[in-house]
Amino acid sequence: MLRVAAPLLVLWLAAQGATALATCKLYRGEHVVLYSAADDPSVLVWDSRARLREYHAASFDEAQAMLPHAILVAPGTRAQVIDCVPNYVESPIFHQPDDAIGVVIISGPEHGSARWVLGSDVRTMSRKVP
Amino acid sequence: MTAFLMLTLAFAVQGTFETRAQIANTFARLAEIQRAQLELEELLRLQIDEENSLRGYSLTRDQFYVTEYELAAAGYTAQQNTIRKILEAQRLRWPLRLLRDYAALQKSWRAQVARPLIRHPRQRLVELDKRNKLFADYEAESGAAIRDALAVTDAQLVRAAQVQLDRSAYLRAYWLVAFGLLAILFNVYRSRLNRELEQERNITEILQQAFRSESVPLPHCEVGSAYLSATNHIAVGGDVFDVYRLSETRALVLIADISGKGVDAAVLTAFIKFMVRAIALRCSDPAGILAEFDVALSKAVANPYLFVSMFVGVLDTETFALEYGSAGHDCAYVRRRNGVEQLAVTGPVLGVMNEPFGSRKIQLAAGDTLVLTTDGLSEIRNRAGEPLGAGTLALIESAGPRAQQLADDLVKQAKARGGRRLRDDLAILAIRVLETEPDRA
Repeated sequence: MLRVAAPLLVLWLAAQGATALATCKLYRGEHVVLYSAADDPSVLVWDSRARLREYHAASFDEAQAMLPHAILVAPGTRAQVIDCVPNYVESPIFHQPDDAIGVVIISGPEHGSARWVLGSDVRTMSRKVP
Repeated sequence: MTAFLMLTLAFAVQGTFETRAQIANTFARLAEIQRAQLELEELLRLQIDEENSLRGYSLTRDQFYVTEYELAAAGYTAQQNTIRKILEAQRLRWPLRLLRDYAALQKSWRAQVARPLIRHPRQRLVELDKRNKLFADYEAESGAAIRDALAVTDAQLVRAAQVQLDRSAYLRAYWLVAFGLLAILFNVYRSRLNRELEQERNITEILQQAFRSESVPLPHCEVGSAYLSATNHIAVGGDVFDVYRLSETRALVLIADISGKGVDAAVLTAFIKFMVRAIALRCSDPAGILAEFDVALSKAVANPYLFVSMFVGVLDTETFALEYGSAGHDCAYVRRRNGVEQLAVTGPVLGVMNEPFGSRKIQLAAGDTLVLTTDGLSEIRNRAGEPLGAGTLALIESAGPRAQQLADDLVKQAKARGGRRLRDDLAILAIRVLETEPDRA
């Protein structure tokens, strides 16, 4: 009995330690890789989640004007999740709203900077990068 | 009814062809949209080829990638033109507009990203990379939008084709039911017509029996007869013959030809037949019969242009003495062993003038045949237009020995000479005196 109950208790305590973020599939503190599913796998990371949302709703010219507020990181850049806003980004092209993910970049030239990326540009470490 | 059926059939055929054309048109459009979808996938592949070639050049500085980039760019333009033509032909404005935006984006990408990068491969700028990313994202979105628009059109056409196929099936069922109902109505109508026709046919048969020439068997004689009407499909005409037993030893022999033919003349034949019988029953003199009938005819018929030629004979079936009167009827013959004799006319035709009628008496011997015809025989013309005339005597002489055989032979010869269509009615009555009494058993 004790052999079964002890591991279950440990798992429950571990789950309680990680803060669940609304309906996001990612958890604060989770390590991820940035990789875009678009033709260009580089990822644009933004200085605010509002700009992230505006970029995806904007026209081409408006989006181009917003580019100075973003940095382009190479595909495979590693980061750690610090925040998540579910269904925050809407676009006329997306079939469903996407999450806005707050990350701290932990590899590459932008190491240490805190930014916002689109949920679909984030891969968890356990997932295979295409 | 037939016109209505034809009209309905024409509507049905036209409707079927229209529906078929509509369905064919929808499927043709569907095929074009699906072709546009395939061409679009190729276009998107070429766009990715361009970007990948540029990315390869940017990383390796290998000129090979520039060539690949240029090839992909040329292919892209040609492919975009192909899709544009399809969309223009199908008048798909929204996908066409999206395609133009997409092509404009690609053109801007070449100008703002690709060419600067190829020109200065060593100066790889962060801003240029970001712009490249922006273009890539927007082009991907733009391509997806065209793909979605074409998919929507494709789905709409599939739905339209389904609706048209359903409508076609309903129409077919409708026409089937309509034609079924029409067939039932037509059948009911035809059955009613058939019933009426059957009733009319019965009446006609009864009337024809009244009008028809007839003969009864005479003792020690054999009787043959034939009748051909000049009017198609009508068994009666303007000629009439009659053999009627006045008593045990006397028989009335009659043949008459009324000017005219067809049903009108046939009606008069019944009058002649029964009137002459009635007169002959109380008057045994053929001249008297003719005179009395002439009076009756002038009173019964108001038509001044109508006249009748008539041969009336009273035959004694014991002695074979024939007393006859001929009112302008010169087609009476006696065939004897030594030839054919034409019987003389004894008075004018009936219904024309008031002149006295005479009677004559001849003696028939065993084997002799009294042959009475109408002018349908003597006036029958060959192809050259010549009437038979005096040739009738030779024809009668050469005909078969038996009474019916004789009548049949004369009909055969008449048909052979005049062709299939007769100009006048033809009646033949032959009475042959038997040499020995036939075996009654």
